[in-house]
Amino acid sequence: MVLGIMKTVILLLTFAALALCADDFCYKDTQRACSPTSSKLVTGVPNCNAKYGAIDKLQSSLQKYTNELLYRSFDFLLMSTFYGNYIKNRPGFEKLYRTYSDSLWNDGIELIKYIETRGGTMDFSNIPNNILNLENDGSESKPSPKPNWELNEYTSLAKALDLEKELAEDIFKIHLDADSLKPGQHDAEVVHHIEEEFVSKHRDAIRKLSGYTYDLGKLLDTPDASLAVYMFDEFLQNDKY
Amino acid sequence: MKVFGIFVVVCLAFASARLTCEHKTPKIPDDWIDMSSICVKRIRSHVTEELKAAMQYMAMGAHFSKDVVNRPGFAKLFFEAASEEREHAIKLIHYLLMRGQLTSGVSDMIKRNLAPSTIIWSDGASAIRDALQLEASVTKKIRELIKTCEGEPTFNDYHLVDYLTGDFLTEQYEGQRDLAGKLSTLEKLMDSHGALGEFLFDKKLL
Repeated sequence: MVLGIMKTVILLLTFAALALCADDFCYKDTQRACSPTSSKLVTGVPNCNAKYGAIDKLQSSLQKYTNELLYRSFDFLLMSTFYGNYIKNRPGFEKLYRTYSDSLWNDGIELIKYIETRGGTMDFSNIPNNILNLENDGSESKPSPKPNWELNEYTSLAKALDLEKELAEDIFKIHLDADSLKPGQHDAEVVHHIEEEFVSKHRDAIRKLSGYTYDLGKLLDTPDASLAVYMFDEFLQNDKY
Repeated sequence: MKVFGIFVVVCLAFASARLTCEHKTPKIPDDWIDMSSICVKRIRSHVTEELKAAMQYMAMGAHFSKDVVNRPGFAKLFFEAASEEREHAIKLIHYLLMRGQLTSGVSDMIKRNLAPSTIIWSDGASAIRDALQLEASVTKKIRELIKTCEGEPTFNDYHLVDYLTGDFLTEQYEGQRDLAGKLSTLEKLMDSHGALGEFLFDKKLL
């Protein structure tokens, strides 16, 4: 008889525990918050957040990418600055790199808003190694040579192209993680957002820069390369080129 | 004819061997470049200060965009302030370029140390209070810049000082007045209607 009661109690406790586990829902939280027996101070609605899908898994790489966008926007700003000095004096190049800088800055802000939309948080100290100029070769990270943004016209275009490709490849990596069809990692919404906001923007920048690099390379291979660069810069100031 | 053909081939080989990527650095008189080096150094480091302020505002914008904070008006205010601070940094850069500076040493002007120090605020009022303090500290730094650049014994930089006073300080004082006014309204709203007051104020900011 006593044993019977104990069994029932254990069974009831188990059910209660199971009910607690299944409790991760906002509705239950709000019900508890409104119940007359609960103290107003201790209740809260911890499950009433915007999180779903795999945002917890993807948040860190999205934070890293945001920092990459922001710091690359500063790098492009420095490239633009260098072309604005009186010796270089290439308003076309100055404008081109400033455009990329502005666009990356705005993309950074938008990505922060996006992370927060999905219930995540932004961490400004989560900076990727390629931005910290650390090359990860196995066990230890070592500093690579200091970045140089004071480049001549032809190599600066090449540098810009490489940077844009790096940005494109890095967002592909996040896309791959979000698109891996493993349960708990798949997040169709992150995939959609990346495709909508980044993929074609990078495609166009890369195509444009590769075209510029090709053209300038051809123009430099002429008897008056110095005049050619002047003309190239004039064309860069024109929005049609 | 044959010899001429060979000559052309050799010329072509020569021409295509290497592109002329670096061009002549012209000799430009430099007596028009008159900024004092200490003043230039200070302005360069103030560019970083402005960018740090930008990132601090960015963190505020991020905080108020959270699902569990949900104050889009505050977020908008702070994200816009972030871009404004970046514009200030760019204005200073353009000023230096106009005065013949930044022909070298550009690469290390912005470092990777811009992560903001505060990332969480208890409510909207405390963030605006922080913003006001941040602006006040930037104003103080601009005043110190002015002192350095006009106090150089051999060269009082009238033009730069005028620019900093007329343009930058004006913007600082107007911005500070705006923030102080907002904080005052918000605190009064919240005096007896805490949560409701902040909610309403946030919508006013949109």
